[in-house]
Amino acid sequence: MKQPYQNRIELLQGTLDLLILQTLRWGAQHGYGIALAIRANSGDLLQVDTGSLYPALHRLERQKLIAAEWKTSENNQRVRVYRLSGAGKKKLATERSRWAQISQAIAGILGPAGEGSEA
Amino acid sequence: MKFLWGDGEQRKKELNEEIASHLQMAARDREARGESPAHASESARRELGNTGVIQDVTHDQWAWTWPEDLLQDLRYAARTLRKNPGFTIIAALTLALGIGANTAIFSLVNGVLLRPLPYAQPERLVGTTNYYPKGPLVVMRQQSRTMELVGVSDNKEFNLTGSGDPVRLIGNSVSADFFSMLGAQPAMGRTFHDGEDQPGKDQSVVLSHALWEHRFQADPNIVGRWITLEGVDREIVGVMPADFRFPSPKTELWVPLHLDPRNTGDYWGDSYMALIGRLRPGASLEQARAELKTMRPSVLAAYAWRMPDNSFVNASIVSLEEAIVGDARGKLLILLGAVSLLLLIACANVANLLLARATTREREVAVRVALGASRWRILRQLITESVLLSLLGGALGIGVAVGGLSILKATLPADTPRLADVALDGQVLAFTAVLAILTGVIFGLVPALGASKVDMTATLKSGGQRNASGGNHRASKLLVVGEVAVSMILVIAAGLLVKSLWILSGTSPGFRAERVVTARITPNEMFCEVPGRCLAFYDELLIRTRALPGVKNVAAVNGLPLGGGAEIFPGVIEAHPTPDGAKVPMFWEKIVTPDYLKIMNIPVLRGRAFTEADSGTDAQAVVIVSKTTAEHFWPGQDAVGEHFRPKWEKEWRTVVGVVGDVREFTITQNSADWIDGVIYTPYGPHAIRGSGADAPPAEMTLVIETAGEQVQIAGDLKNTVASLNDDVPVSQIGPLKNWVAEAMAEPRSISGLFAVFAGLALLLGAVGIYGVVSYSVAQRTREIGIRMALGARRQEVLLLVVGQGAKLALAGVTIGTAGGLMLTRLMSGLLYGVHATDPVTYGAVAILLMLVALAACFIPAVRAMRVDPMVALRYE
Repeated sequence: MKQPYQNRIELLQGTLDLLILQTLRWGAQHGYGIALAIRANSGDLLQVDTGSLYPALHRLERQKLIAAEWKTSENNQRVRVYRLSGAGKKKLATERSRWAQISQAIAGILGPAGEGSEA
Repeated sequence: MKFLWGDGEQRKKELNEEIASHLQMAARDREARGESPAHASESARRELGNTGVIQDVTHDQWAWTWPEDLLQDLRYAARTLRKNPGFTIIAALTLALGIGANTAIFSLVNGVLLRPLPYAQPERLVGTTNYYPKGPLVVMRQQSRTMELVGVSDNKEFNLTGSGDPVRLIGNSVSADFFSMLGAQPAMGRTFHDGEDQPGKDQSVVLSHALWEHRFQADPNIVGRWITLEGVDREIVGVMPADFRFPSPKTELWVPLHLDPRNTGDYWGDSYMALIGRLRPGASLEQARAELKTMRPSVLAAYAWRMPDNSFVNASIVSLEEAIVGDARGKLLILLGAVSLLLLIACANVANLLLARATTREREVAVRVALGASRWRILRQLITESVLLSLLGGALGIGVAVGGLSILKATLPADTPRLADVALDGQVLAFTAVLAILTGVIFGLVPALGASKVDMTATLKSGGQRNASGGNHRASKLLVVGEVAVSMILVIAAGLLVKSLWILSGTSPGFRAERVVTARITPNEMFCEVPGRCLAFYDELLIRTRALPGVKNVAAVNGLPLGGGAEIFPGVIEAHPTPDGAKVPMFWEKIVTPDYLKIMNIPVLRGRAFTEADSGTDAQAVVIVSKTTAEHFWPGQDAVGEHFRPKWEKEWRTVVGVVGDVREFTITQNSADWIDGVIYTPYGPHAIRGSGADAPPAEMTLVIETAGEQVQIAGDLKNTVASLNDDVPVSQIGPLKNWVAEAMAEPRSISGLFAVFAGLALLLGAVGIYGVVSYSVAQRTREIGIRMALGARRQEVLLLVVGQGAKLALAGVTIGTAGGLMLTRLMSGLLYGVHATDPVTYGAVAILLMLVALAACFIPAVRAMRVDPMVALRYE
C-alpha cells in the first residue's frame, strides 16, 4: 500500500521541496495554505497532492530547512504553521539555480526542432 | 521503519491533529463556495486521499532512513548486476580468485602465526633457543626464579611389540610436570605425577588420542594396561584429548624423561632436547633471558669435565610460539605479500571494468542527478554496487579458499609447524568478509568518484551521442599499467624460485638415487646390547637380502643423507689439539657396511673404501672423511694416514680414505652449521657412539641396489626380516628417489605456489590489457573509420592498436622491473644458485609479459582492422 506514495515522493522530491520553500519565502503558512498558494501561483496548473505534501513538509522539517509551531488561526482553530529557517533560505537559493540549469538543459534537448533527430 | 526520532507517540497525535485541521479548513472553504456541510466534508476527505496512508508515510519521514536507503540501494544494485550477467560473472570470478587465494593463505598465516597456542595462558609460555642435556635442565629447574622449566625430547621412535604386528611409534620423553606446566588435562586416566621422571618410577606412558583410537580400538579400559615399548614394559596411565598435539601432530605417546645422573654420558652429554617453560607470576621475558645468562656459569660448573667456555653462550629465551614457528614466519609472510599483490591485480581489473561501464552509465547518473539525487547519494549507490559485487566474489572466494587450502595443506611439507591447526574458521571468514568489503570500496571508489562528478548539463545535452570521457580512460590506462607492473613483480618472483628449483634439482646431492630402494630396520636398542647379536643379525640380513630376486647389492647405514640422521660426537684431531676451554669440533658419523659407498656412488677421492676386514673385532680402527672435512682439518695436506679420535677415547684412529661430499643435512647444505666434519666408520665393534654405548646402533637403513627401477621387494624384505626376528619392524620402504624428492618438498611447494600466483597474475593482467584496448577500439571506431576512409592501410590500423597496448605494457614492465628489484631482495633466503636480481630471469619475464600483452591486444586489433569505414561513419 505504501509503495505508490513513496515513488511519488521520490519523483517529486526535487521540485516539490523547491515549491514549498519558495512559497514559505512570503511568510509562515500552514500545510493547507501552502497547497492553496502553490495551486494559485501556478494558475491552477499544479495540483499539490496532499499525500506528497505532508511527507515533504515533515522531511524538510527534519532536515531543519523549515521550522514548525502550533498557532491558533483566525477561525480559532489550532494549526501547525511552517516557516523558512536560515538553512532553508540558503537551500532555496541553490535549488533555484539548479532548477535554472535543469530547465536550460531540458530546453537544450527539446531545442529547435530537427537538430537532435538527425545525429 | 521503527527507528524513530524523539517521541513517536506524541508526534503521531500531532500529525493526526494537523491533518484534521487541514480537512476542516478544506471543508470550510468548500462550504464557503456553497456546498452543503456534509458534502463539503466528504469531498475534502476524498480530495485528501487515504488519511491513514498519508499519516504513515509522513510519519516515516521521521524514521531513521539509512537502513531503508541501504535496502533500496542493495535492491537497485542487485538489479543492475543481474541485468549485466557477463560483467557480473567476470568481475565476481576475478574477485573470487583474489579473495579466495588471500583467504587460503590467510588461514595458513592465522593457524600458524596468529592463533594463540591452545594451552592455558599461552602468552606466558616460553622456550629456549638452544638444546640442553638432562643435567643442565635439572640444574636450571632448581635455580630458576622466573620460569618453570620442563624438557621435551625431539620425536623419538619406539617399537611397540607383543600386541599384534610390531610397529614403530613416535613419541617424546618429557619432564614429569610437562602436562601440568602446559595446563593440559587428560581425556582419560592421568598425566605424570611429580617425580615420575626419576629412574625406577618412570615406567609409565601417556597415549595420544589417535593412537588409542587406531591401535587400541578406543578401548575404554585401557588405563592400567601394560605394553612393551622398545623392550621396556610400561603402564598406560592416561590418554590425551584429540586436540593435544605437543610437540608435534605426529606424537603418538609420551614417556617420562629418565633422569639418571649415574649414566654420565647420557645425562650430561648426549640427551640434548628442547626446554620449554612458563613464566612465573610477575616475571617478564626479559628477566627470564637475563636469568638464563646468570645461570650459565653454574650449569657449566656442574659438569664433571671442563666444558668449552662458550658453551650455551648464545642461548636465549623466546616466546613458545616463536620457538615453534621459527623460520616459517618469514616464508608465510612472503606468501601473504605475494597473494595480496594478486588481490591488488584483481581489484585493478574489476575497477577497470567498472570504469568502462561508468562511461556508458553517465546518462543514467545525469538523469538521477537531474531528478534531485545528491552526489553523495549517487556515490553511495555506486559503492553499494561494488561492495555487493565483491561480497559475491567473496562468497565464491570461500569456495576457492576451501579447495585451495586442502591443496595447500597437501603440498606444504608435513613438518611445517602447526599445520594441523590450520582451518577455515570464524576468524578467517571474518577476515574474508572484511577483505571483501574493503576490496569493494577500494575498487569501487575511483570509478564511483568519477561517475558521480558527471557534468549533468553536458551529458544531457550531448543526447544520444556517446561521450568519450577522457578522464576515465586515463584512469583505466593507469590501472592497467599498475596491473602489469604488479604482475611483473609476481612473475619475476616465481621465475626466480622456479629457476632455483631447477638448479637445485640439477645439482647432485653427492650420491646417486636411481635404482636404489631403502628400508628402515628398527630392532629395539636393547636387542643390540647383547654383544654380537646385532652384528650377526645384520650380517645375516644383508646376505639373505642380497639373494632376493631383483636385488644386485645391499648395504646398511645408520641414517640416509638429507637429514636421515647420524651419530654426533665431539672429536680430537692429532695435528690440531683443541686447547682447554675452546670449542671442541663436532662430528657427524655415518656408520656403514663396506658396499655403502659403492651402491650410493660416493666417489673415493683418495685412499680406499672400507673392506669386510675393517669390521673385525681385532682390526685396526679406521675412518674415512669427506672431502670438505679433509680440507678443513688438513688443508693442503693428504688426510690419508692422519689421526683422529672421539674425545673420550685414548687410542687414535687412522684416516684411510677421503670421499666426495654428500648433502647430509638438507638439499642445499652438506652439514649443519655447528658441525665441523663428516666421517664414516665401518659398522661393527669400532662404530663410534655419541652416547658412549659399546654396541653398534640397532636402527639401520638398508640401501638396496635393484636390477631395475620398478623392482617390488617390500613383501620379500618383510618376510626376510620376520624370518630372522619377528619383533623387528620394517618401515619406510621406498625408492631413494622419493626420499630426495621429499627433501625438495619445501622449495617445490613454495615455487609451485608462486607459479600459480604468477599464472593468475598473468591471466588477469592479460584480461586487463585486453579490456582496455578493446574498449578503446570500440570508442575509436569512428576515428578509425575516418582514418581508413582517408587512406590508412589495415596494417597501419593494426599497428596503431597494438602499439597502444604495447606502450601500456612497456610502462608496466618498466615499473615492475624497478619494483621487482626492490621486492625480490626480501626472498633471497628462498633462492638457491640464483641472485635476486638475476638479469636472465628479469629479461625472460619482461619478454614473456610483453608477448602476453601483445597477444591480448591482438583480438581487438584485428577487430579494428576489419572496421568498415562506411559503417563506422554512419554508425554514430
